[in-house]
Amino acid sequence: MLPRSVVEELRTIVGREAVIDSANDLRIFERDGSIEGALPDAVVLASSTEHVAGVIKVAAHNNIPVVLRGAGTGLSGGAVTIRGGIALQVTRMRRILNIDPVAQTAIVEPGVVNQELSMVAAQHGLFYAPDPSSQKACTIGGNAAENSGGPHCLYYGVTTNHVLGMEVVLADGSVHWVSGDAPDRVGLDLCGVLVGSEGTLCAITKIKVRLLRIPPSIATMLAAFPSIETASQAVSAVIGHGIVPAALEMMDNVTVGAVEAHYHAGYPTDAGAVLLVEVDGTAEATRELTAAIGKVLTDNQGYALREAQTPAERELLWAGRKGAIGALGRIKPNYYLHDGVVPRSRLPQVLSAVGEIGEHYKLPVANVFHAGDGNLHPNILFDMRDRDVLHQVESAGEEMLRAVVELGGALSGEHGIGLEKSAFMPWIYSEDDLGAMHRVKDVFDPKGTMNPGKIFPDPSRKSVHLAGRTGLAIEAKWW
Amino acid sequence: MVTTPAVEKPSTADELARKLQEAASSKLAVVPVGGGKARGMGGAPGRCDVELHTTRLNRVIEHSQADMVVSVEAGITLEALQEELAKSGQFLPLDPFSSPGHTIGGLLATGWTGPLRLRYGSPRDFLIGIRVALPDGKLASGGGRVVKNVSGYDMMKLHYGALGSLGVIVAASFKVFPKPLYDLTVTSEGGWDDADRALAMPVTPAALEIFSDGRVLARFTGSHDAVDRVIGDLGWTVEDRSIWGRHSGRSPARWARIAAPRTALRGLVEGLPRGAGWWASPGVGVAHWAIASDSSSVMATRAKAEAAGGALVMLAAPDDFMREVGAWGTPPATLEIMRRLKRAFDPDGVLNPGRFVI
Repeated sequence: MLPRSVVEELRTIVGREAVIDSANDLRIFERDGSIEGALPDAVVLASSTEHVAGVIKVAAHNNIPVVLRGAGTGLSGGAVTIRGGIALQVTRMRRILNIDPVAQTAIVEPGVVNQELSMVAAQHGLFYAPDPSSQKACTIGGNAAENSGGPHCLYYGVTTNHVLGMEVVLADGSVHWVSGDAPDRVGLDLCGVLVGSEGTLCAITKIKVRLLRIPPSIATMLAAFPSIETASQAVSAVIGHGIVPAALEMMDNVTVGAVEAHYHAGYPTDAGAVLLVEVDGTAEATRELTAAIGKVLTDNQGYALREAQTPAERELLWAGRKGAIGALGRIKPNYYLHDGVVPRSRLPQVLSAVGEIGEHYKLPVANVFHAGDGNLHPNILFDMRDRDVLHQVESAGEEMLRAVVELGGALSGEHGIGLEKSAFMPWIYSEDDLGAMHRVKDVFDPKGTMNPGKIFPDPSRKSVHLAGRTGLAIEAKWW
Repeated sequence: MVTTPAVEKPSTADELARKLQEAASSKLAVVPVGGGKARGMGGAPGRCDVELHTTRLNRVIEHSQADMVVSVEAGITLEALQEELAKSGQFLPLDPFSSPGHTIGGLLATGWTGPLRLRYGSPRDFLIGIRVALPDGKLASGGGRVVKNVSGYDMMKLHYGALGSLGVIVAASFKVFPKPLYDLTVTSEGGWDDADRALAMPVTPAALEIFSDGRVLARFTGSHDAVDRVIGDLGWTVEDRSIWGRHSGRSPARWARIAAPRTALRGLVEGLPRGAGWWASPGVGVAHWAIASDSSSVMATRAKAEAAGGALVMLAAPDDFMREVGAWGTPPATLEIMRRLKRAFDPDGVLNPGRFVI
């Protein structure tokens, strides 16, 4: 509980109704899209940069943790108030402030929903490239904080490649613009450092993003494969041919079954794995690439190849992919999802390890992921009402990440480290590596009030049984 | 009094870190040197006690062809790296001016780029891992060897373009690219109107340069049929691709980089003194100016660039000229935050003192 005086101070800044501190209402803000939850002491609904700055100033003065929160769709516990304090909700800041069709830029408030920006930009023939699967709900502010990805990041790059500048509020309540739309700005790239810092360095109150021209032609293809291994080999073969598609996604048999039952998108349910491939550009380019990719896929045991013939068909194929995790609810009500990344050529090895781990723990695992990037998404399916299984689920997830790291990979490709993976950071970074990151943290947030308990290992939290084996990546000749 | 600096050429990252730590603990000023191509960039170092060369750190650590990822030591030249990548039909899409002879570490520290930035972005976009020696002798890595990674802070962004003021880059990993299936270069004499027309084509050029004499050079890559159609529509003359190598060789003795929002760039270069020699990437928002006029023309152009939200940075000039105009122009509004970062990594200010804006 916050002291009465602090709550009153917050109410003076944002208005009486915009501060929530009744125990019942706070429950709504207990979690994000991950497993672990914690109640905030208060929720503040900010409507402006002044609100955000004012709240952060009060928090700093009273040493109260501040955790920024958008749509709460994050998958790593980034928005969970693990040390209590203030959940600073910015979804009321949802204006698109400017779209400049000539410069191809937009300035948005952090609460703007990802897909809404692309829908509005489409009036000018433009779109915003990063497209997380949660894009119908997730916010640009959250995307910038997490450096989110999405299927089309294979070709277009992740959020950081599309953010030109930001208005940020630092831990002392000061407001700054970092970067802008000129390239090669003088000084350090603060914007680049702050994107993906998971709310631990600043609050983001405005984002200037690059928009791209909508390609004149888009072709979406689906191919079935006898197994995950053969599909993985096909992925490597496509890229090995010098083709970088706009998106290259894989779904395993478990996922395809759930998706097909839900969406009836025509996915082949007998397949061991399915690849969804998209290319875009001119009509000539998509024709040429579709033919080339089709040949590579069939040469690599791909079958039941088909191409979406209409925009509606394309939508349906993507609905299946983007709604896959929801569809998995048909199998079990809850999922636990990691997003480790491996070098693409290691996909067959890591996926067979993931399968073995699932079998060992007797937990169903559904893989639906960005194969072109080597970015896994193994969904461990379970029922949270069975409290005993939770520990098993966490252990299985941890072992899967372990397999990722042992194959030269990284802990997270797009979901962030947050709460759930902070204890594993020593697996890939040495003490000195983490020390350098800590210097950055201390510069921006010397009192440690911005989203505490995230990214860095927290010695006060329960020990993670495997975390003792440190420095693994370095042993594995990281350099 | 100018003294001759000690020259250190370590052959391993550990040795480099040790040399750096030794110098730093004696509060000696250290100037990191790669290919020496950008020594004119920045303010003249207030002191230079030790030159720390990276040129013996020149190995390809690992090139995983299937993953299209390469890790190199910082002192390798861009040309040596390209030669290695070319063996498997791959390349690093970086074609900086004042080539050849840049080292990878130098290119990352200075942020120098070239025409291909239009299609591929800068190393800021395809640098996926970095290892840096810090003044306290520690070696700190960030990122990794995977193409997509949000594990911890983005330390690549912290050091890219920081001119070695927070640490000395000793190794880097990149996402590399397949050589384009089709690659055609065309030229016109049509100036800005033609440049704008080419940039609006359904196939965006991989590179497009405009020159002060009105010449435009464009490079289209990708689908054979699409590129041929676009080039047919443009009606420009086909040019030999080797022209790009000669273009990247430009290295005036007195030059500046003007960076501005794309929409403001044309106005800025058209405002340069009559007869000025320049070339620009209008799709990126960067122009290079071979300065033949006096310092007041530089100051006037810089004022206009800064008013448009951009900057004019000197890349090389005689000492007195450089002192007159200053290397960087008006410091950014966030300078104090940058200085706090500087103090966190280099508390005694031994790295490149006086050279970078912070």
